[in-house]
Amino acid sequence: MAPTWFSPATRTELIENLVSGVDRYNPSNVGILEDYLYHQIRSQEYDCLANLAILKLYQFNPDLYNPDVVINILIKALAAAPAPDFNLCISLLDERLQNASLDEPDPLPPLLPILQGLHHLLYRCRFPAFWRAYRSDDLEALRDNYTIECAGFEDSIREVVIRAVKSTFTRIGTDRLGLYLDLNTPEDLNAFVEKLGWTLDSSGTVVNVPPNPDNQIEATVVQENIKLPQLTKVISQAAKV
Amino acid sequence: MSQQRMAIWAADEDIDEDIQDISLAIGNYGQNGHFDDAHIQPPQIDEQTLIAMQQHMAQQAAFAAIPDVVKGFIVHFYQAVLENNLAEITVAYESGWNKYTEKFYAKTEWPEAEIIAPLVNDDPIFLILYRELYYRHVYSRLQPNIDDRFHSYENSCELFNYLLNSEGPVKLELPEQWLWDIIDEFIYQFQVFCTWRSKVKNKTEDELLMLADGAGVWSSYSVLNVLYSLIQKSKINEYIVAQQEGKSTEEIAEIVGEYGVKPLYRMLGYFSIIGLLRVHVLLGDFTLALKVMDNVELNQRSPFTRVTACHVATYYYVGFCYIMLRRYPDAIRTFVTILNFIHRMRQYHTRSYQYDQISKTADRMYALYAICHALSPSRLDDNITNMVKDRYGDELARMQRGGEDALPAFEELFMYACPKFISANSPPYDDPAAISQILNSSPTASPSQRSTDLPTAATHTDPAHRHLRLFLSDVTAQSPVPTLRSFLKLYTSLGAKKLANFLDADEEEIVQEMMVMKQASRSVSRIGSEKGSLLDGQMITTSDLNFVIDDNMVHIAESTIGRRYAGWFIKNTERTQKIFDDLRHTPLPAPKTVAPAPAAAEASKTSGTAARKVAWGGVKA
Repeated sequence: MAPTWFSPATRTELIENLVSGVDRYNPSNVGILEDYLYHQIRSQEYDCLANLAILKLYQFNPDLYNPDVVINILIKALAAAPAPDFNLCISLLDERLQNASLDEPDPLPPLLPILQGLHHLLYRCRFPAFWRAYRSDDLEALRDNYTIECAGFEDSIREVVIRAVKSTFTRIGTDRLGLYLDLNTPEDLNAFVEKLGWTLDSSGTVVNVPPNPDNQIEATVVQENIKLPQLTKVISQAAKV
Repeated sequence: MSQQRMAIWAADEDIDEDIQDISLAIGNYGQNGHFDDAHIQPPQIDEQTLIAMQQHMAQQAAFAAIPDVVKGFIVHFYQAVLENNLAEITVAYESGWNKYTEKFYAKTEWPEAEIIAPLVNDDPIFLILYRELYYRHVYSRLQPNIDDRFHSYENSCELFNYLLNSEGPVKLELPEQWLWDIIDEFIYQFQVFCTWRSKVKNKTEDELLMLADGAGVWSSYSVLNVLYSLIQKSKINEYIVAQQEGKSTEEIAEIVGEYGVKPLYRMLGYFSIIGLLRVHVLLGDFTLALKVMDNVELNQRSPFTRVTACHVATYYYVGFCYIMLRRYPDAIRTFVTILNFIHRMRQYHTRSYQYDQISKTADRMYALYAICHALSPSRLDDNITNMVKDRYGDELARMQRGGEDALPAFEELFMYACPKFISANSPPYDDPAAISQILNSSPTASPSQRSTDLPTAATHTDPAHRHLRLFLSDVTAQSPVPTLRSFLKLYTSLGAKKLANFLDADEEEIVQEMMVMKQASRSVSRIGSEKGSLLDGQMITTSDLNFVIDDNMVHIAESTIGRRYAGWFIKNTERTQKIFDDLRHTPLPAPKTVAPAPAAAEASKTSGTAARKVAWGGVKA
């Protein structure tokens, strides 16, 4: 969750006004937000709060409900793990009766447990299992109808992996990393590692992860640190006397 | 008025018919001369007069039944409101009302507003306020029926209409506590209504009919509309910002306009922000809940903290949002702040009628604190941690151990301490077919599942259980952490394979768990960025145990926290100084003889410094 999480740099003024003002409740604005979602999907941007605003409108106006939009929002939120975005979206999906008025069967109910399962695997860092599930025949519908449309979806999942690996490892075996990233040929993996700016060690089987605040460990004794403001009362008293 | 009170929906129709009848009657007499019609009218009118007379007599009887002291109280209360006499209103509101409730109306309703109307000159505003209290009493002490639910909504609407849509700001003044209670009760009744509405079973035919007709009653939109209108009318956000920028009173008055300068609107505006926080939490929108608080600074110095119940509620809902955002350290800090506050204030509040409510909320926050403490152990406040151990020691131990026992403990505390979540939408009462389908479906009650699988398959569909399942899925993901942690604490480095053998698990499995553990020891937190929005924050380390994996070797480092002396010394130095100052400024006891007073004062001063010199010497020696 970067500092820009609740206000990404790519958000336009129009969207900002919708997200932050009372206009977010106006059902007639749902189209603008839905267009913005599809823009995010095409251009690999992500704006959680704007997407939550769509779900809020659906929550209050069940007749606006569009299952494809919901599924796309959830797919975008998957890549935010381990941040809570996915669950925040799910929280807004009220219990919904099978809507008989839709022309086609609602695709969300069968996909929802699948997406939640994928999220759970990512959140538990079960990356190989995630890829197995994602590539399985059962999820063909999800791949062919949704994630294929979402530009850079697989790479966005790889970023989730990189976040976890970067903070845990100083060095990691290529086999393991390949498995986590679902990059099964040395060429693919090497290209990916190179793009990250990481290096292979001399044997070619272990990747060096550059130092970062999370993979540097040091046994420390935290000493208390007294700041001047804490002492203002005492000092001012001394000055009075 | 009295007809309206009986059953508003039925009465509305009656009135419509009356008007038709009357205009028809006039028409008949005046122009067309349809004698037949005119002939039929009189008996109807007679019947109505008869009913009216009967009602009138019943009302008189009811009026006579009111004890004289209560009548006196109402008149007095009315006078106080009429004169905007805040002190008297406060007394009547905080003690009088409760006193007579205990004495006469512990188990029955207060007299209806129409019955006491003659006492207060039929003043519509006072009657609205009176009904506000009347319904609150019904909700808290008795079981509201569907008429009460609908009418209390209407009365709230009338009140807010009066405040928002009169010509210019109204002259009324009310105590801050009452203003908070108005907003608080409005949301409470909304929440109770939604919960009641969502239970399709056990509704009578009449109730089903009324729900089918009254779709707009207590709708989420209408509630949000009231809160946002109050916020906008009072320009409370602008007020808070201007205050933070240190603008002068005149500048602020300029900015907030004719409504915002009035304490009534300003306070209602502020309470509406807190109300929004609460409504959004109830609807499961935790980010938006924190976002509406963007301008509000959470601290004890703000003038808005004077209403303790509001202060406590604010922290409860903010803390809960942080839990759902997986920001456990922020949740802990929020709860610690307010629990310390409640602890300190306890002595002043035991006699307040809200004390019960506050201590119940506090108890739920201890439970939430226990949850956070288990998920993100810290040594932030030993005092609160000890109190939590007193209350929830058993649950805390189970949660901290992890494994099989932990999940039921998390569930138990979560369900006890979570807000009363609601569904935004009504079941389809306007669609009889759908409703009868729900009624005929088999009951869905089955114990929530406790396995460590992904807890999505459970069958409870009410909002609280939906949020519980999401929360438990987070907890499940973290459940191996305590065990891993206890092993890692014993080593400075250790092969992943060896660790896996200890735990009787696959090495790869353990490595993945280690990534989860790393993830669990990091959190976004407001520490260091306290000024900004409540959603703001930066990544911090929350665990004293840090580790890293070098290929297949785990290296572990532990941070220890040195003992903290400074805070203790600073606090006690300040305290001593205060005692010393107080002593110095206390006048000496009046001299018995006409002794030279200035000399004595002089003496005490020198003795003061002398004494301190001695003390310093003592330390050195």
